[in-house]
Amino acid sequence: MRWLKWFEFRGKSLFHISYSLHRLTGIVLVIYLVMHLSYLTSIRIGREVYEYFTSTTLTPAFLIFDILLVLAGVYHGVNGLRLILHEFGLGYELRRPLLYLCYLLTLVLWLYASYQMYLFVMGV
Amino acid sequence: MDVIFRVRRFDGEKSYWSDFVIPAKKGMTVLEGLYYIKENYDGSLAFRASCRMGICGSCAVKINGKPVLACETQILHLNSTTIKIEPLDNFEVIKDLVTEFDGFFTKHEAVKPYLIRKEDRYSEPEELIQKPEQLYAYYKYSLCIKCGACYSVCPASSSRDDYLGPAAMTAAYRFIADSRDEGDGERMQIVCGDCGVWRCHFAAECSEVCPKKVEPAKAVQKLRFRSAIYMLEKFFIRW
Repeated sequence: MRWLKWFEFRGKSLFHISYSLHRLTGIVLVIYLVMHLSYLTSIRIGREVYEYFTSTTLTPAFLIFDILLVLAGVYHGVNGLRLILHEFGLGYELRRPLLYLCYLLTLVLWLYASYQMYLFVMGV
Repeated sequence: MDVIFRVRRFDGEKSYWSDFVIPAKKGMTVLEGLYYIKENYDGSLAFRASCRMGICGSCAVKINGKPVLACETQILHLNSTTIKIEPLDNFEVIKDLVTEFDGFFTKHEAVKPYLIRKEDRYSEPEELIQKPEQLYAYYKYSLCIKCGACYSVCPASSSRDDYLGPAAMTAAYRFIADSRDEGDGERMQIVCGDCGVWRCHFAAECSEVCPKKVEPAKAVQKLRFRSAIYMLEKFFIRW
């Protein structure tokens, strides 16, 4: 279980927390991908099964999971772009402002996406 | 002011905490506190130290969860009445605060941390002249004191024993960036390998804890860029 050390935060900086969150959101997205493909594949069993599955995901009760999933996706994407930039050897000196920008962008995009999803699910 | 030192002990079989009261004075370092324990309370306490001035890198330990040099950390600057002192992570503990550094130095040695010249003319030595900008290209990375602080916080090193680690990568970059060095090919073979730069996931924690501000994360990223070019060149030359 050495991979659990990815999530040891004591005495670590925001950079390490970002790293751990990147790993965690990556795992969440893989689980989501498997679920998503399973839902889509259910059409092979029958149209009713597929519609039953998809209808459960469009309920207000499920909205909270969708909002959390979007948070994971947005964070993973924005932080991933920051990492790609650094891995090309660019912007290293700006790594701290870029990290703050990454969190700010994640928050703004997540709030906007959540609002849009809320409007869609509630039929407003 | 009395401060409690909570020291993580290990006797070869079991691990436990020991508490000691230290009469801290202004300017007193954690290392001096450890010597105080050794001289007044428990002579069996094991820790490493040598220069006492942040040059040798022997006294790196975890203080309140963060790897630092004990000789450069003043007790009163920690603003805490209880100070937790533990051995570095990612190293095998031998006794108390003393950790096994053999693996760390083997990895350091693996990247050939010395100048490689195609021709060494010892009979007719010549001066290898460098411009200031050529010196600045690697100078910062040459300040590494091999204390192991970067290695102890590296998540890639914690999950894989064979990863060379930030200190070794920095040493590799230090020589690759040196205009006098001609050993790029040899060194690149090592750093581009399975245990090399591609194992780094840029947590950048190594740069955050480095007591000498060497910026190992920057060295690894620069080395990555060079390895990508090196691998592409190798690929196209082969074809």
